[in-house]
Amino acid sequence: MAIAVSQAGPVAAPKRHSQFYLGWKRFSKNYFAVAGLVWVAIFFIVGIIGPWIAPYSYKDADFLAMHTGPSWKHLFGTDTVGYDVFSQILFSIRYALEIALGATCVSFVIGVILGLWAGLAGGIADVIIMRGVDFMFALPSFFFALILVVLLGKGLGPMMLAIGVPGWAGYARLIRSLVLSMRNGEMVEAARALGASQSHIAFKYMFPNVVGSMVVSLAFGIPYDLTAQAGLSIVGMGLNPPMPSFGNMLAAAGENILGFPWLLYFPAGIFAITLLSFLFVADGLQEAFSPKGGM
Amino acid sequence: MFFLRFLAKRIVAIIITLAAVIAISYIMMYASPGGFMSTTQIATALAPLAAQDPVAYQKVMEQFQQRYGLNLPLWHQVLLYIWHSFTFNFGNSMENPSITIMSQLKSALPISVILAFASVVVSVVVGIPMGIIAALKRNTWIDYTVTTLSMFGQAIPSFVLAVIFVLIFGVVWQNVLPVTGWGTFSEAILPVISLAAGNIGVVARYMRGSLIETMRQDFIRTAKSKGVKYWPLVFKHGVKNSLTALITVIGPQFAFTVVGTVWVENIFAIPGLGKVINTAFTNFDFPLAITAVFILGATIMVTNLVVDLIYAWVDPRVKLQ
Amino acid sequence: MAEALLAIDDLRVQFDRGEDEVFAVNGVSFSIAEGEALGIVGESGSGKSVTLMSALGLIRENGKIKSGTAKFQGHDLLKMRPRQLEDIRGRDIGVVFQDPMTSLNPVMRIGDQIMESMLTHQYAGRREAFERTLQLLHEMGIPEPKARFRNYPHEFSGGMRQRIMIAIALACEPQLLIADEPTTALDVTVQMQILALLQEQRQKKRMSIAIITHDFGVATNFCDRIIVLYAGQIMEMADTRQFLRQPAHPYTVGLKNSIIEIGQRDRQLSPIPGMAPTLTEPPKSCSFASRCPFATERCRSELPALREISPNHHVACHRAEEVLAHAI
Repeated sequence: MAIAVSQAGPVAAPKRHSQFYLGWKRFSKNYFAVAGLVWVAIFFIVGIIGPWIAPYSYKDADFLAMHTGPSWKHLFGTDTVGYDVFSQILFSIRYALEIALGATCVSFVIGVILGLWAGLAGGIADVIIMRGVDFMFALPSFFFALILVVLLGKGLGPMMLAIGVPGWAGYARLIRSLVLSMRNGEMVEAARALGASQSHIAFKYMFPNVVGSMVVSLAFGIPYDLTAQAGLSIVGMGLNPPMPSFGNMLAAAGENILGFPWLLYFPAGIFAITLLSFLFVADGLQEAFSPKGGM
Repeated sequence: MFFLRFLAKRIVAIIITLAAVIAISYIMMYASPGGFMSTTQIATALAPLAAQDPVAYQKVMEQFQQRYGLNLPLWHQVLLYIWHSFTFNFGNSMENPSITIMSQLKSALPISVILAFASVVVSVVVGIPMGIIAALKRNTWIDYTVTTLSMFGQAIPSFVLAVIFVLIFGVVWQNVLPVTGWGTFSEAILPVISLAAGNIGVVARYMRGSLIETMRQDFIRTAKSKGVKYWPLVFKHGVKNSLTALITVIGPQFAFTVVGTVWVENIFAIPGLGKVINTAFTNFDFPLAITAVFILGATIMVTNLVVDLIYAWVDPRVKLQ
Repeated sequence: MAEALLAIDDLRVQFDRGEDEVFAVNGVSFSIAEGEALGIVGESGSGKSVTLMSALGLIRENGKIKSGTAKFQGHDLLKMRPRQLEDIRGRDIGVVFQDPMTSLNPVMRIGDQIMESMLTHQYAGRREAFERTLQLLHEMGIPEPKARFRNYPHEFSGGMRQRIMIAIALACEPQLLIADEPTTALDVTVQMQILALLQEQRQKKRMSIAIITHDFGVATNFCDRIIVLYAGQIMEMADTRQFLRQPAHPYTVGLKNSIIEIGQRDRQLSPIPGMAPTLTEPPKSCSFASRCPFATERCRSELPALREISPNHHVACHRAEEVLAHAI
């Protein structure tokens, strides 16, 4: 009792672009995201070359020039011990990036392994891993990081682990849900019904989806880890001095602020802009590549 | 009956989670080089006391031995510690053995809780109207301003904002607002704003997105077809539906805020749990550190349970399970 | 023919999709008489819903009414201020939507949803509205109205929800009921019950009904008169009997042939080849030409006007007479 209309007939196929190209086009229209990307790129470059262009070592205090304001000799001034703030910032960027990237890698690797295991094995492994995920989500991972610092210490490597290890749950849940949706997703079903081969399905349909979701969740993960790292310094559990870090500078500046505000302008400003840029990029990526997904 | 079973299940889950947190913390601190719970380590920690008053030292030492069951196997120590924690028998601080942990918590916990709740309340009170206005004025400068401000609030951590406030009100506009301390209303303003800013961003963005989505729903068209006027349409149909969904983000936001209080208290020199955590961890005062984490964790999970109950109460479709 | 309750004249509606514009309704004129049941039939995207919903101001923001009038009891709905239109919606014109799962507010008790329009229009006081709601629920065949009043939509089945939708639409006893695909989302048996309910209410209240449907069968069973829309234009407009006996437009012929009727198992079903177009430019030739077995050069270059080929039988086809001859 309904109109039956066959769906045949000449339909002009639209020109096909890859998902990445389309995503990039959407991304590049978002000016905030592009501006953020530029800053993030600068941040990365400085992180790589910073130690070479730094005028002073972070370890060498200029005792003759303690807490001086910004000058040509000390671009951003010096702190209470005579460290050059500009050099400190350059080194901080390096360590901040090392720790954030390292921690994100640690979270990601653990998350991928456990997520794959849960999704593929199912059964009791799945139950246990997902209980673990629930457990990790019940409390802020910052507390776990705090406790891990006690165990591991305050070096670069320990920081990566302390921040990275508690962060696995989000990635594990994402990977598991991707695995499950791949195994019984409608799109894959449809592709298979149309006669697409396994590898074709994997590369053409699953891969872009999975990569999109993962890139987005990683993009949100890095600024989170940067924040966690500085937050640890605020409660005195951050990177061991004299190794410079934004958190240490902020915490120290908070104490010395009344006399020497320049100790704060640059670290706080650069740190805030960096986090904002990361978020703009992550947000732009999410809108461009996986409108619904993310963590 | 159904409700009671749900409640019992959730409370059991909370207890298990907290027990696991204590166990993990205890084992990690036991294994850490800075060291928890070996006689020699405690001896080092109490060295100043030993020099001052050997008799008192001996007494405290025995107390520790007994209290933490230091001669027992690790698993037994862990169980003992869990039992002590759940019976609110927290013992004494190691750094300052004459003070009970309980008394420290009694003064510190309310401060942190007030700070966290105040900032959640502020963020809801400010964020919801912001989100509603942005949604109704979509793609106008008002909307862009609200969304951009929200992004700022979300991206900049509370401690950075707190430091910036200290810079502004401690250096540039001195004597406008106090930048340290706790106790008066004006002393609470800056910490609460620092903590609320991120939440305001989250709430406003969520509210905006949710309301825009809701106003596209079929039932809004139905209400329009009934001749419902604009404002009743927005509030009775649109906002009411969006609000129920908003409740689900309050729980995670509260947890996030509690971590924020730990940071912000340290910058504004507020004697709350965050300050306690700072001194406990930096001084390797582990009983105090574990207890502080335990209490904050319990606060977060109980709040989440309450939020879930409110959600079930507000949204008729939600079934407690 | 009785006096027109709603008269739509030369209505044109466009939707702005950013990169292009969709011409959804392209010069549609028709009227609904008092007490009449009119069927508006078309495929999805034919502009059948947009035509009536735009008159009520219920289309999305990106839809713009470019020209035309829609006179309800002599007053042009399209020129009214939003306030005036709000007064008419729900009080004089009730609407039943397609999907009862999504068309009811999930966090509002169904009783309150029915009462809302009565209270908005000050049709009845609180107490009276409550009594009337119970009465309506009873009339709609919902058992235990008093208990069900306090339930939420998710506690009802699809068919029951559609009955509630109808109760909402009928609450203020409107003169016109617009039913937009009222049965599409329902099971076949429930479809019949809902149609019967609408028919019963129509006779009892002597109101007009406009049924928007893609189901030619529903229209022929239910309506006095039928309009067939295609690409936002009227293809054919006639009494139901005329439609069944003498369809004069090739598209209508196709629709009729594609109906499956009980007891016709052996009949060859002949679907219309091709898809309904989405117009991104105003039509300059016959929109159906690409799918039409009768199409000639003229059809592809010249827009056929809607003309009256016999009393009250309007067709927009250059070759209507030949179609008629062919069909017989």
